[in-house]
Amino acid sequence: MNSVVTVSDFYFKYLRSDLVLKNINLEIEKGSFTVIIGPSGAGKTTLCKAMTGIVPYYSGGDYAGDVKVLGETTKGKKVSDLAMKVGLMLEDYESQLVSLTAGEEVAFSLLNHGFPPEEADERTRLALADVGLPGRESYQLDELSGGQRQRLALASLLAVHPEIIVLDEPVSAMDPDGAESLYKLLDKIHKEHGTTFIVVEHRVEFVLPYLTDLVAVKNGEIAAQGKCEDVVSKIYEDAELRPLLPDLWQVKCNLEEKTGRRFALWRSSNEAVKELEQNGFGKGVRA
Amino acid sequence: MELNAFTWIIVTLAVTAWVFILPLQAVATILVLQLVLLLYIKRSKTMLAAIGGLGVFTGLMILLQLLFGSSLSVSLFGGLRMLVMTLAFLCMLATTRIQSIAKALVDRFHLPVEYAFMLTTALRFVPNFLEDSAITLDAQSCRGYSNRGNALKRLLSYVVVIRPLVMRAVAKSETLALSMELRGFGANTYKNMPKEKLTAVDFAVLAIVVVLSTYPFWKKVLLT
Repeated sequence: MNSVVTVSDFYFKYLRSDLVLKNINLEIEKGSFTVIIGPSGAGKTTLCKAMTGIVPYYSGGDYAGDVKVLGETTKGKKVSDLAMKVGLMLEDYESQLVSLTAGEEVAFSLLNHGFPPEEADERTRLALADVGLPGRESYQLDELSGGQRQRLALASLLAVHPEIIVLDEPVSAMDPDGAESLYKLLDKIHKEHGTTFIVVEHRVEFVLPYLTDLVAVKNGEIAAQGKCEDVVSKIYEDAELRPLLPDLWQVKCNLEEKTGRRFALWRSSNEAVKELEQNGFGKGVRA
Repeated sequence: MELNAFTWIIVTLAVTAWVFILPLQAVATILVLQLVLLLYIKRSKTMLAAIGGLGVFTGLMILLQLLFGSSLSVSLFGGLRMLVMTLAFLCMLATTRIQSIAKALVDRFHLPVEYAFMLTTALRFVPNFLEDSAITLDAQSCRGYSNRGNALKRLLSYVVVIRPLVMRAVAKSETLALSMELRGFGANTYKNMPKEKLTAVDFAVLAIVVVLSTYPFWKKVLLT
């Protein structure tokens, strides 16, 4: 497997806290769309921060083990240099915006890393177009809606062309339409640029059509990881993790358990209806 | 015609010095020029409110000076000086982008980047802070907060709004600091921004500043 992130025997505790991450061994495949699930307080955000070097090198705390990003250890690296390879969007994306206008926001990282202004301008233009905000360089941040500001935060990550993008609960404060459109956008970027996405998400329904890999975290440990097809049933067996699976997959696992048959990993309710009808579950099934 | 941020800073600093060295008529002329400039730039309610607010503050200053035993003329001239100084800053803020001011402070006055960045960040977070305060006020009102009673009572009860607001602001500032770290904030932040060059108009204005700033010297030379 061609891994872009490798976490080996990683343990971490914040100052004056218990162990937050325990015995983490994780590999994220290049070009994958990985979703991290887990109950609240399981260590998902800390795991994201570990992949970007913030934990332990910015936040402080005790750690053991190693995290490698694109084959290089994060040890001794500047957080900002790592951010050129692995971009992170935090849950509170609003406070992550540091500038007064959209153009300055996107160009901020580029200028800080010594890109000439002309190249920064060009990359800014392209990144804003990528997220559906073309020509908004001169817009003040308060002229943009909440959803547009989130897209702007994404554009500022895209502009540095990172190979990996980590998003911590990107749609937690969004309505279903907004969430759907953001994930559509992420899928478009994923396909067009081949960027590896790692997303912490509580509502996997939104990302169902796009995700390729799943990582389940429980009590600071990895409970399951791998291709969705391989890990869904394992996650379903765990009573605490089961509710975190999308309803459709819970139905699939339940049916498999009851009937002893195997079903495909449905990505939409239409797919489920089609397969169930083909398997003689009658015309009464509705999407 | 747009002046460079550097020129504006110099003019603002010079005006604060001029109010002490130039005669009353000259200071009054500067005041008129400032008012004309401000109303020319933006004849909005906000601008009038800003000028009015400064006017009220000046009135209070004059009253205070009178109370402490200064003569009427001294008090009035003192108030005029203060008004002209503060209006100079208002002129600078109304005509120049805060980002350009921050860049000029770093590039030409060698202000540490952290301090310059504070200027833009403070402005960036004003809308968020106002939004947060409205949310907190609503939330606490639901829990029984009321701003009734005398001034002292209202002030004391407002603590229940201030406290969560401050906690929110601290949490936001931590995220902001992390974001700045992730995005490589540091010595390069202003260095790589496009350069804003001084034009002929800037040089002309700076020359006028030099001439007016050395007024006491010229006065002495011309009189002898």
